[in-house]
Amino acid sequence: MTASVDLADFLPAYLAEVEELLDSAHRQLMAVEASARRGAAHPKSVRELFRALHTIKGLSAMVDVEPIVSISHWMETSLRQADQAGGRLPESSVEPLMEGLRAVEQRMRQLAAGKDASPVPPGLLERLEALGVSSPVVASTARPSALLLDETLALAPRLTPTEREQLTSGAGHRRPVRVDFIPGAERAARGITINSVRERLAALGELVKVVPVAGPAPGGGSLTFVLLLSTDASDAVLKEAAGGEPAQVRALSTAPSAVDGPSVPEREPELEEEPEEGRRSSGTLRVEVSRLDEALERLAALVVNRSRLQRAVVDLTAVGAPTRELRAILQENGRQLRDMRAAILRLRMVRVGDVLERLPLLVRGLRRTTGKAVRLELEVGDAELDKAVADRMLPALVHLVRNAVDHALESPEERRAAGKPPEGRVRLGCHANSSGWVDITVADDGRGVDAGAVARRAGVPVPRGPDDLLELLCRPGFSTREEVTSTSGRGMGMDIVRRIVVDQLGGELRLETRVGEGTTFHLRVPLTITLLDAIIFECAGLRYAVAVGSVEELIEVEAARVVRPAGAHGVALVERRGQSVTLVSLARLLGSASAQAVDATPPRGLVVRQRGELVAFGVDRLLGQQEIVLRPLEDPLVRVPGVAGATDLGDGQPTLVLDLNALGAARRPGSGGREERAT
Amino acid sequence: MSVLHVVFKVDGAEYVLPASDVLQMESFSGATPVPGAPAHVAGLVQVRGRVIPVVDARRRFGLPALERSLDTRVVVGQLGTRTVGLLVDSAREVLKLDPAKFQPPPPLVVEGSRGFVKAVAQVGPRLVMLIDFPRVIGEEAPDGDGKR
Amino acid sequence: MSEVLVVDDSKVMRDMVVACLRPYPGLNFTHASSGLEAIERLSLSPYDLLVLDLNMPDIGGIEVVEFVRGQDRLRTLPIIIVTTRGDEASRARALSAGANRFMTKPFTPDAILAEARGLLEEKPA
Repeated sequence: MTASVDLADFLPAYLAEVEELLDSAHRQLMAVEASARRGAAHPKSVRELFRALHTIKGLSAMVDVEPIVSISHWMETSLRQADQAGGRLPESSVEPLMEGLRAVEQRMRQLAAGKDASPVPPGLLERLEALGVSSPVVASTARPSALLLDETLALAPRLTPTEREQLTSGAGHRRPVRVDFIPGAERAARGITINSVRERLAALGELVKVVPVAGPAPGGGSLTFVLLLSTDASDAVLKEAAGGEPAQVRALSTAPSAVDGPSVPEREPELEEEPEEGRRSSGTLRVEVSRLDEALERLAALVVNRSRLQRAVVDLTAVGAPTRELRAILQENGRQLRDMRAAILRLRMVRVGDVLERLPLLVRGLRRTTGKAVRLELEVGDAELDKAVADRMLPALVHLVRNAVDHALESPEERRAAGKPPEGRVRLGCHANSSGWVDITVADDGRGVDAGAVARRAGVPVPRGPDDLLELLCRPGFSTREEVTSTSGRGMGMDIVRRIVVDQLGGELRLETRVGEGTTFHLRVPLTITLLDAIIFECAGLRYAVAVGSVEELIEVEAARVVRPAGAHGVALVERRGQSVTLVSLARLLGSASAQAVDATPPRGLVVRQRGELVAFGVDRLLGQQEIVLRPLEDPLVRVPGVAGATDLGDGQPTLVLDLNALGAARRPGSGGREERAT
Repeated sequence: MSVLHVVFKVDGAEYVLPASDVLQMESFSGATPVPGAPAHVAGLVQVRGRVIPVVDARRRFGLPALERSLDTRVVVGQLGTRTVGLLVDSAREVLKLDPAKFQPPPPLVVEGSRGFVKAVAQVGPRLVMLIDFPRVIGEEAPDGDGKR
Repeated sequence: MSEVLVVDDSKVMRDMVVACLRPYPGLNFTHASSGLEAIERLSLSPYDLLVLDLNMPDIGGIEVVEFVRGQDRLRTLPIIIVTTRGDEASRARALSAGANRFMTKPFTPDAILAEARGLLEEKPA
């Protein structure tokens, strides 16, 4: 079995990531330079700079860009020494490192423009290499730490002298603090993970070290992350940042004179002048998509609030109160909320042109490996696409362009013989239509798909139309070529293209081909998709998904602790941390055929907050958590409350995405307003 | 002038739909039930990437359920902008029918079919029934939630 | 299904590793972008294979290996180290900490696939 993986496929992603790493490296080097000028150390920036170059080196090795591997290797080497010297870098080292970064950047641009990376400039490696040898290794100015760490946790030996210093020499009102964070499945489901806790705490002070400690932890966990930081935030704020209970915050005792004492004044200027890393001049800002989603969630809460307000105004109007002004404001408010939603969604849009700017590089590589003359024409204009869609589309487009060059275009000799210009053409066009879809075409002027030949290869009758032909091409592993080509591996990968465009994104894929004249693939994908971090679970033999954000907690339901009040059909109470929570059988609520059988207590519960009240939905099994693409159900036959949409978990069967909040509200017995369904 | 029709069987009877209303026919490997949807909806299926509702013809016609088999088909129909599947016992034939040959259904058929049959035609010894697709699919909002 | 945890602070690198292992049937991949996240995930659910970078922002791969081997539950978890640090000292440290395989970037898709296959199949199912 051969692996059909070509790491060259990762070139576009590689370029994007290295660009980000270079951005960060530049900022860190500037910070280091500012410190070096004052003869001060800047351990954090040196470390970051080192890591950025280390990552660049590794990635460049994987995609085989030798000059960048060499440059980053020597930069990394000199930085490792600076790191070991407590983050001290001689000022004279800055310029050669700058030169190194520029050289890497230049080669990235060459690659992006479809050229080869030029060799390392003469003398650069020597200059970088010399840094490693000549820079004096300054011994760290370790002072005896006054910190009294809990020795039983064996934390102290894990701290380097520099770290101890960072912890104790906090400027102003900063004090050393230890925060214990205990990870858990239900906390992770709410987005409270070591990554998010670390990020939040880092924003509240200087986070010096995180140490994982195994062993029984409060709240039934088996792992504690001990985060050591120097901060002026209050214990309450720190605890909140660590996700609340069972997190713990403890001040670390220090010897009396360690903070603010006369022994540390010479350190102060260094800490004051932390460089402003956030400031960027280009007027653009990189934002994590998850933050935008968070904004959307907040907005959803506003919308709910607005409808409550609206109901209140309706009630007021009903009793004859003068509400004209109020209603006008409400209407205005509704429009503003809609505009705001649109504005947030627009933030997620990226220019298609930006996404595709790496394709010329791919084509250039193909030109070299196939020996074919190719021209790539991008006609994408200003079309924009949701980043989530763009990220998913890119591999499909790479596949199509690769296939076009590799399979569809003829050699220059063949083309000349056929009366065509020797240089083949691949054109990628894109435009957004008004109805929320983006049309993309990938067209070539190559030999076209010979339906007869395809049918013979597949051993089936000749397909009747383009749809059937496409169906055939999309069979997993299907190839139009006898021999395996190095560029396309075994198959044409059309099954992957279809999987992305059709199954994942819910779009369309069509084929138009004329033998001797060329082939065009028409793709239609939604302008935006809804991605959801979802919990997948099983209930009465079926799988369902539910948004992680809507679930407060996952609980184990012990049959012995469930109380069933007489006459409350199917509703029971379960105890959760001393509080009783309504337990509803989800199977029964969903009207499952085997609902009687599931009157046995379901073993797991999804706790959801409904109008301030906690309700646990009993389910059979939790299957995990994953990101899903939410596909709304548009047909009126299946637009029902409690079902947010469907998703494909990879088995080709739709899986329902439930909205437990609406489901409970719509069907909970005795909730009033709506009747229970007759069936 | 003859028009192509797709022929499908439900409980031994033969029905037809103009082929122009039919997008495709798919074999059936089960649908995802949708709680709260009308009783005649078998559930959701994914057909070439689209998630569409499937109406169970037997349930709609008030017939006893039939174990699904290799013959079971989903006739995927286009209804304006909607795409909906109809679950039938089998569908494997396409017939050319002259629209002029269609007759109004006899009273007995009208009564038995709850108005789902628009017309009938005699094809040799066979009687085929033209179904009223929009009516079979149904447009009612699922929850009776103030709409209609 | 075998669960694979791929740990690297570079997303491209994680994606490459997943692409390399994808041809092996029945693997399910989880990503972790830091050593701490890896430890968190390992403590919350079971995995059958750990692919680990050495150089990461918070705690390094060696520390992760040491942590894993210090846990009874994780003592037999197969670990493949994937790193740019190809020096003998790093290799010796990683292997003596308890890693099963040590791969230096660049490696070929076939090479890592073969290592993963070996580890997954020698493990009693």
